[in-house]
Amino acid sequence: MNPMVKNQRYWNWAFMSAMFFFFLLLAQINWKLALNLGLGVGLGFALEKSRFCFVAAFRDPILTGMTALSQALILLLGVSILGFALVAGSGQGYALNVYPLGANTIVGGLLFGIGMVLAGGCASGILMRIGEGFAMQMLALAGALVGVFFGERSLRWWQGWGWEQPGIFLPAKLGWLSTLSLEMAVLVVLWLLARWWQNR
Amino acid sequence: MKENWRTAVHGPWPYWVGAMVLGGLNILVLLVRKRPWGVTTNLQDWSVWFAHLLGLASERIPVSQLLLAEGTYLNLGVVLGALWAALAASQWRFRPLRQRKFGFSALIGGLFLGYGARIAYGCNVGGLLNGIASSSLTGWVFALAVFLGTWIGAKILLKFLV
Repeated sequence: MNPMVKNQRYWNWAFMSAMFFFFLLLAQINWKLALNLGLGVGLGFALEKSRFCFVAAFRDPILTGMTALSQALILLLGVSILGFALVAGSGQGYALNVYPLGANTIVGGLLFGIGMVLAGGCASGILMRIGEGFAMQMLALAGALVGVFFGERSLRWWQGWGWEQPGIFLPAKLGWLSTLSLEMAVLVVLWLLARWWQNR
Repeated sequence: MKENWRTAVHGPWPYWVGAMVLGGLNILVLLVRKRPWGVTTNLQDWSVWFAHLLGLASERIPVSQLLLAEGTYLNLGVVLGALWAALAASQWRFRPLRQRKFGFSALIGGLFLGYGARIAYGCNVGGLLNGIASSSLTGWVFALAVFLGTWIGAKILLKFLV
């Protein structure tokens, strides 16, 4: 066995020093870019350490009947909904992801779901596994770069044929209180369903 | 205390801890960028830039614009953060393909997921997690479609790959 694999302490110090200087350099160009890098590093670190994986959260209930990650995803959704409501509901100038709804939402979701199972990771999962050193997800990223290019080229066609409707921002229709109550209720039901599915 | 520190560095963290930390960071990204975390919009910009280099796209995205894009550093950060996480636990190594068929599956899967993400305006992060976090109906519909797609994908996986 390669002794480097046994103890990577020195590599870790070298990596952290390099990151420190990269961060400083970036902060001198634009502190916001450095902040984004830092947040990205935090997200990648947390994804790796908690073995969090969107693919597994959707796939494991089907393949193995385990729903531990699905329950974690439900928690992440709940935290994010409340956090976004707090931030965007109280501040000005936030652009939220309220996208148009059409046949392309459904077809895109289906293709995306099939693809992420075959690739062994969704977009963030592919990036995380590249960091871990997986050759498979390096190939998946190459495939994804071609795929997003084709997707970008054909979006106009889908917008014409996909019966696309403007996105619905639920609080604008129902008000914040009803929206948040409804969303939390759906998440609780999904969570109970996930627990029942695992204990079946 | 020492024990906690060891788990924090070496992992694995319990899933619920991961979800809370990711949720907190996800909200911080919104505060900093004024828009939610996403992955594939930036990948798309790089793909168009690369296609222009190959003469496949007429429009030109200057590389300076990509190097000054926040999305570039979020994506780069995720890769570097995962690398660091593995390194800190002395677990980093290159992990080659176990079988050639997994290489094909990765390429085809990547193609599908990239295409699907862009015609639906988002991946699991920008479309699903943050579509739902934005209280957009589209996010919930997309999540349902992704779940059905995962089910089909799992059938394909069982039939051809395992």
